[in-house]
Amino acid sequence: MHHAHIDKFAYQDSPVHRLDSRVKLIVVVVFTALVIAMPKTVLSVLFCYAVGPFVWLVIGRIPLKFVFKQILVVSPFILVLALSSPFYDRSPMNVAFGPFVWQTTAGWMRCYVILGKFTVTMMALISLVSTTRFNDLLVGLQKLGVPHLLVIQLGFIYRYIFLVIDRAQHILRARSGRRLRNLGFSRELKIAGSMVGSLLVRSINTAENINIAMQARGFDGHWRTISRLRIRWYDFVFLAVSAIYMMIVYFIVLPFLR
Amino acid sequence: MAMSKIIEVKDFFYHYSDGTEALKNINLAVEEAQRVVLIGPNGAGKSTLLLAMAGFINGKGTVLIDGIKVTKKNIKRIRTLIGSCLDNPEDQLFMPTIFDDVSFGPLNMGLNGEEVRKRVEETLKRVGLNGMAEKAPHHLSAGQKRSAAIATILSMAPKIITFDEPDNSLDPRSRDNLLALLKNLSQTLVIATCSMDFAGAIADRAVLLDRGQIIADGKAEDIMSNNELMKAHGLEVPGRFM
Repeated sequence: MHHAHIDKFAYQDSPVHRLDSRVKLIVVVVFTALVIAMPKTVLSVLFCYAVGPFVWLVIGRIPLKFVFKQILVVSPFILVLALSSPFYDRSPMNVAFGPFVWQTTAGWMRCYVILGKFTVTMMALISLVSTTRFNDLLVGLQKLGVPHLLVIQLGFIYRYIFLVIDRAQHILRARSGRRLRNLGFSRELKIAGSMVGSLLVRSINTAENINIAMQARGFDGHWRTISRLRIRWYDFVFLAVSAIYMMIVYFIVLPFLR
Repeated sequence: MAMSKIIEVKDFFYHYSDGTEALKNINLAVEEAQRVVLIGPNGAGKSTLLLAMAGFINGKGTVLIDGIKVTKKNIKRIRTLIGSCLDNPEDQLFMPTIFDDVSFGPLNMGLNGEEVRKRVEETLKRVGLNGMAEKAPHHLSAGQKRSAAIATILSMAPKIITFDEPDNSLDPRSRDNLLALLKNLSQTLVIATCSMDFAGAIADRAVLLDRGQIIADGKAEDIMSNNELMKAHGLEVPGRFM
């Protein structure tokens, strides 16, 4: 079955695709921390921060339509948080955007900032996962000291999430093929519970089989892999350019706009 | 010249936790380089017997692999002698890339990086997946997944390989490719299958199981061409033996 993989552009080739996953991870983590730590009153600096991921996406030939679709997919969670802000903080506040100044409330300001920060950090995250193969990301995380168990769990999630989605879709299809009339809420709820249960049992069965497959190949609790990551000269160039860019925004642009 | 027995199952019994007897008094000896098919209807105990051979289940009786008794103490040695290919390649391929999956076994065997890389490259070439090392398993076709699953075992160079329903969900072309691949293997093969055409095309010897017992054991053609015997156990005579 076809799935919209989060890393579907990660198998392309471009200068940013060739960068070492560890370097990209470090840059994205630092960048995200800087954006999150940004004061909530200086909204316009977000446009400066957005330039970085935008350039990254353009160099990586990642379609912006795909990026914004991905952002929209996860936006409902953050939208609830952002749109509730204007209701609980109505104190007046002046906002400046270049030469323009207007009045709003602190709640609306918080709402814009949350949405802005979310969009920019998501762009950075999508830049990372769209230009890095998931396996390289896992190896990168492992090399950067992320606990082994967590990396293994992430690997299994990535490997089996599509399989679970497929199974869920098959169950739903089987159900809808026999759903000739509405059975009422409580009966439908009971059926939904059975379907989830069936999915769970199958997942446990799969987990047991995976355990057999691992043991059959000598797994003794120690996860062994061969690292194929190598830091090259252009990784240092990327690191330096990213550091300079983030320092300019943080130390020069931000105080100027504040 | 008498061939050495590489698998010996003696007076083996196994029952599930609910009391169902899955294997009853199994006595079986497989010689080196033999290609044996375990045939029988669903629930006959074929897969359970494969699990017992590889030491995944412990029953009453003895299982010897290359003369070594299958016990908890010997399990590491046993796992290097016998490779198990599960019925669903999705369960067999649990790593993010084919390279990682094929290198998983050799790394656990303690081989060095260079040797592991060499083995992965050679094995992928052998199963026709050359240049696919960096692919994620979910990007492969069903036939390619099956080949990759076999590669994960071949890279460990075991003496015996067991297959559980290897031709499951394969189209005729993929099944022919699989047959060609299996026929080229020099290892002892034990294949559990419900597909009689597949079994007839690969086997030297057939072991018919039903309700946990060995019903017949002998030359594949002799057993699989016996219409009465096959029908009595819910099977059919493959086209090539008609």
